[in-house]
Amino acid sequence: MKIFCIIPAYNEEKNIIEVLEKLQKLTFSNQEPVLEKIIVVDDGSQDRTSQLASEIAKKNSQIISLRHLINRGQGAALQTGNQYAIQEKADLVVHFDADNQFIAQEIKDIIKPIIEHEADIVFGSRFLEKKSDIPFVKKNIIMPLARIVNKVFLKINLTDPQSGFRAMNKKALKKIKITNDGMAHCSEILFKSFQNNLEIKEIPITVIYHDYGQKLNGGIKIIKDLLISKILK
Amino acid sequence: MFQQIIAIIIILFFIVRMIWQKKNKKIKNNEFVFWLIFWGLAFFAITSLKWIDKIVANLGFTGSGIDILLYIAIIILFHLVIKIRFNQVKINNQITKLTRKIALDEKD
Repeated sequence: MKIFCIIPAYNEEKNIIEVLEKLQKLTFSNQEPVLEKIIVVDDGSQDRTSQLASEIAKKNSQIISLRHLINRGQGAALQTGNQYAIQEKADLVVHFDADNQFIAQEIKDIIKPIIEHEADIVFGSRFLEKKSDIPFVKKNIIMPLARIVNKVFLKINLTDPQSGFRAMNKKALKKIKITNDGMAHCSEILFKSFQNNLEIKEIPITVIYHDYGQKLNGGIKIIKDLLISKILK
Repeated sequence: MFQQIIAIIIILFFIVRMIWQKKNKKIKNNEFVFWLIFWGLAFFAITSLKWIDKIVANLGFTGSGIDILLYIAIIILFHLVIKIRFNQVKINNQITKLTRKIALDEKD
């Protein structure tokens, strides 16, 4: 099974090497590497992210470095990675952040329901059994608000409305074309999964917060982007 | 009357400026025609306020002609802002497609 990991990266020179090293070391119990390809999509970073990714890619055929010449947003970077995965006939794609907040080992948990044909798409959730040290405002204000927005506008009822850790099979990859370039892609992916009647599963994941991440004004921008994309349809 | 004169001076200023831009080939023919019609209509509206007042009154509105012109102007401006916003979204999408194509064509 061809498993690709897509990493959208923007100004992540401090983390990208460590993230790639961890992902490269990821193996199944038979010592076979879990990931056939690790695709870094540099989203027009102003630091050395792209340079570092390219240098590693030249030394290691498992890693592919793609570069947006200008910053287009995380959603756009993920779709670039998805298109590459479709071109290369990937069977399974994992979306993984470049900021070293996710745990590489949990990729095995997130792909399991797809390998076992229990789901087409699996979302990692910070709000199930495992404990993530989520900042107070994010946990108690921003996320509940995001859940309400998803429920009202998109009729989606999942525990984690903004998780960037997900896996999807070939069917889901082809059905879900990300059109929201910014952070609204999380809600868009959820919505399109429901719209296309995909088998959906949520599994618990751990997130280690190094910085705050999405703030309230970012959340407002997501709502604005969702509204515009709804009106434009 | 005084306000009308000020409005006419402003309109004439823009018309003269536009003719100058056209002479110096700074605007295209279709742009020139569009703005000429626009300012022409504005001139007509300002000089025919009493006539517009009568039309507005006959239509059953309580406000004066200038109020109605103001409402129409706001509606047009709102429409233009939305149109520009949508165009901006479309252009953004096209830029993303182009950026993606370059990224996929030039992979390391």
